[in-house]
Amino acid sequence: MAPPRTYRCEAIILGYTPLGEADLLVTMFTRDQGKVRAVAKGARRSTSRLVGHLEPLTVVKMSMAHGRSMDIISQAEVVQGFSELKEDLTAIAKGQYLAELVDGFGAEDSPNPSLYQLMVDTLRAVEGDPASDLPLRFFEFHLLLVSGLMPELYHCVECRVELEPDAHRFSPNVGGTLCLDCHPDDAHLRPLSLRALKVLRLLDRSEISEACKLSVDDSLASELKSLLSTTVSYWLGKEIRSNSFLERLNSETLPEVYI
Amino acid sequence: MTQENISGASPSLARLVQELNRLPGIGPKSAQRLAYYIIRLPDDEAYALADAVTSVKQNIVFCEECQNLTDASPCQICSDPRRDQTIICVVEDPLDVLAMERTRSFRGLYHVLHGVISPINGIGPDQLKLKELFSRLARPELVEMVVATNPTLEGEATAMYIRRHQGRGDLKITHLARGLPVGGSLEYTDETTLSRAFQGRQEI
Repeated sequence: MAPPRTYRCEAIILGYTPLGEADLLVTMFTRDQGKVRAVAKGARRSTSRLVGHLEPLTVVKMSMAHGRSMDIISQAEVVQGFSELKEDLTAIAKGQYLAELVDGFGAEDSPNPSLYQLMVDTLRAVEGDPASDLPLRFFEFHLLLVSGLMPELYHCVECRVELEPDAHRFSPNVGGTLCLDCHPDDAHLRPLSLRALKVLRLLDRSEISEACKLSVDDSLASELKSLLSTTVSYWLGKEIRSNSFLERLNSETLPEVYI
Repeated sequence: MTQENISGASPSLARLVQELNRLPGIGPKSAQRLAYYIIRLPDDEAYALADAVTSVKQNIVFCEECQNLTDASPCQICSDPRRDQTIICVVEDPLDVLAMERTRSFRGLYHVLHGVISPINGIGPDQLKLKELFSRLARPELVEMVVATNPTLEGEATAMYIRRHQGRGDLKITHLARGLPVGGSLEYTDETTLSRAFQGRQEI
């Protein structure tokens, strides 16, 4: 029997690009099939039934039809629009950062429901507290975990000795933490404070709601951000473009009228 | 498409197909169809097309005021004394100016950003005509800025960035109404649009 021509799926919209006269080429991460690129015919027309349902950072239920080269979106309905997140510029920038990472780590025809749930949970956490960077750190750490790239945090990756409660070193290139006695020739090697190691271990065993309650000072936040975003970027094999806009928003001085 | 893909075609035809294939939305087959259509055109029509392409590349410049594409700077709209100098409408692309002008409901000035902030695609505030906008906003005669970026995630983010970075406390900042399109249907409208349409309901 021939496989059915249509199917239903639930997905997070990651982005889209214009296609032809009025179509969109939509990139989404589905719960059951991983990353999917599909065509939304006529979706750029203001009267299209799809318009408004395919905005990035939206959870959508869809009916799809198998096409010759790409699938076609026949119906779409918003399940969760994250409308409060979309009213805050920093929260949008954070959402775009998550979308870029899921687009980079997610693969077509490779289901990863854990990554799907991680993104939904993180978008909720960002919406709940747009100023906090902890949801992003949680996301980066668990993105490595659900992608099979979890860094070693309990033993030295070189000599396998159990790590003492002390400052250590870390490198994504060798797969995690190193004791101070091991000296591999590695350009990615960086210091890892005991406090940062403790937070990483806590991220490993916490739910996102619990991890986001952590209190971290500026210096620790900066170390975690640098370590995790560098590790994620290392595995992605390229620079994370949306990171620079996010950093710009965090660092810039606003005109007095806004403050 | 490379010239080898259409073996048998003359080199000049292959080159035309290759160049047409670079245009957005034009695939290899469409490029071949267009190339054969151009070959069959009368000479004067084909040369007029070539001349239009050459002329647009030689003559089009950015308007020093609104940054729209124009033959002469400042453009017709910016140099028209009948336009309302107290209101400026910020749009994403030159095509948006044409769309707004077709409505005949706006008689103020424009500012064209030439895109929206799109971090995923590597487009940040510095790649847009934002510096030029902020310098225009300092003019005291200006009382209102209509941010008419598209109601998409990136369009809204760009609007927020503009609002956040404009330096005038006395400037009225508005955006276009959000709601139902003419010919639309409530049943298929997304929740954000519908709730905004409800908030913006008007007495009849």
